[in-house]
Amino acid sequence: MRVTQIVLEKVSKTYVIDRETVVAVRDVSFGVESGEFLSMVGHSGSGKTTLLSMIGGIVRPSSGRIIVGGDEISSLNGKGLPDYRSSRIGFMFQFSSLLPVLTAKENVLLPLTFRSGKVSSSDESKAMDLLRMVGLADRINAYPFQLSGGQQRRVAIARAFVNDPAIVLADEPTGDLDEATEREMMQVFKIMNETKGITFILVTHNSDLAREAHRRFAMNRGSLASLDAQEKVSDLHN
Amino acid sequence: MLTRTSFAARNLRRRPLRTGILVLSIGLLVSVLVFGLSFTQRVDSGIKRTSERLGADLLIVPTGARGFAEDILLENRVKTVYMDGSVLQRIRQVEGIEKVTPQTYLVTLSGLCCDVPDATIVAFNQESDFVVRPWLKEDVRGKLKPGEAIAGKESAFNIGVGLMEVDGVLFGKTFRIVGTLEKTGTGLDNAIFITDQNMEDILQKGKSEVKPGQISILFAKVKPGIDPYKVASRIEDTIIEVDVVARKDIGKGLLNNLRDIRTIFAVGVVLATLLSMILTWSVFSAIANERSREVGIMRALGARESYVARVFLTEVVIVGIAGSIVGIIFGTGLSVLLATSFSMLRNIPSDLVPLERVVVALVGLMGGLIVCAVGALSPLWALMKMEPLSAIKGE
Repeated sequence: MRVTQIVLEKVSKTYVIDRETVVAVRDVSFGVESGEFLSMVGHSGSGKTTLLSMIGGIVRPSSGRIIVGGDEISSLNGKGLPDYRSSRIGFMFQFSSLLPVLTAKENVLLPLTFRSGKVSSSDESKAMDLLRMVGLADRINAYPFQLSGGQQRRVAIARAFVNDPAIVLADEPTGDLDEATEREMMQVFKIMNETKGITFILVTHNSDLAREAHRRFAMNRGSLASLDAQEKVSDLHN
Repeated sequence: MLTRTSFAARNLRRRPLRTGILVLSIGLLVSVLVFGLSFTQRVDSGIKRTSERLGADLLIVPTGARGFAEDILLENRVKTVYMDGSVLQRIRQVEGIEKVTPQTYLVTLSGLCCDVPDATIVAFNQESDFVVRPWLKEDVRGKLKPGEAIAGKESAFNIGVGLMEVDGVLFGKTFRIVGTLEKTGTGLDNAIFITDQNMEDILQKGKSEVKPGQISILFAKVKPGIDPYKVASRIEDTIIEVDVVARKDIGKGLLNNLRDIRTIFAVGVVLATLLSMILTWSVFSAIANERSREVGIMRALGARESYVARVFLTEVVIVGIAGSIVGIIFGTGLSVLLATSFSMLRNIPSDLVPLERVVVALVGLMGGLIVCAVGALSPLWALMKMEPLSAIKGE
């Protein structure tokens, strides 16, 4: 039986830019069950990244509550938030997010390094397995400048799984990849979701990929709407 | 395996030129600090050591020759002054005096009177002496025989004692150098010591300007518990032919000059510190800006603020230590090479002892590290407090 893993209650985020208040996320409420695969679409600046960042605990909401696995993360502080991020969340960013002075393997191991301060040989084996899984078995000791943009994205994807996260927050992770590789990576996500029960929230511009999720959402000017519900209404009208 | 130090070192290697300039700037600051400290410490401790090792509480010289004692002891200047030897008995009778010993100084001029390099010949009284004897090496602890002399450490080196049996002609009389004094760290290292009986032989031959019965200086020790200054006043009040210098006042003039030099060095060090701090701040601010996205990513992946701070601080410490080592080597090298360029140092008989060098180096190291840490504090604080998403977006 699936349990509700993520709950957002009237979550908003506002910024003050040049004395002007900008609402990035407006009164968003929704729940995600454990092992669900969600996709989210929306224009640039619609608030997708901010919403994902709040769930990931790297931005605090201005109002509302975010509860993950029973813990209200908006109230975590000190060591609580970093520990939450390094143990329960896998991040995939929409840009190259590798540290340039570290090799592919060291980049993959970063969340474990942050969590325990050191890595074991089994951690290293796991990192190499993940790099093999994303097709970079022969680039384990390569530095980011020795990798193509697509290869760097794949290293970042491998990194998101190294800490056995309960939730993966993927912000356009396949943006730089060609269509074939993009599909290949999507298969990896689905396998991880199905075999390990990892919850996915995937932000993408690719509507075909978005359609493969269990549930689809759209962000528009900070507000979240279910695309599945809209489609049902639309189907009824047709 | 990735350690915090290797992580920090790799970060610094990304911009070798910038890191090099920062290390060099810290190095220059530390070298100024080390050079200044070495200079002032050398003068300071040279005077202190000379004063402590003298063994006498009072130096009694002819009236108007107060600076003579310092010239001989501290500055190695070859000089002579004379007074009547009868003063010795009068000094012995002054209340508070425990013992007194006379010395007479002659100046050698190579080629004219003597076949040794220019030096001071010190005639001392073997019976009453308590100044020279403690520095005699074991093998010459016995009394000097007629025609025998002892060389100070530096004089021995100049003459070549130890390489061969050395005879030297001093004021027409041949002396056998039978031994050397241990290094005293004072001007006595540049002297040749003979007994006052030998001195009388020289005077009889009329080869020196000194007249029989004359002496140059008296070293006096006061009785335990007696204030040397009170005894000095008593001597000057009763015997008008002499001036008295208390051991603690030796080098007062030099120390006054040193105070001014120390102020100049302090101003230089303060200015260099400010410059280095500004440079450190600007370089680490640039580093913090450049790495804000990386730090945001690290934080998003679970790095604690303290981890980010420790990596950054490790970089600061690496730069600080590297700069300080460069500065210590450069500053110490300068202080050694330029020692002979400063008349004040040239004439100070002793160099810094290894412990003093270590202390100066440690002060330099601490100085370099503190400047680095203070300069990097505000960029580090800004980096730590940045919200991860803002850092990632570069806002």
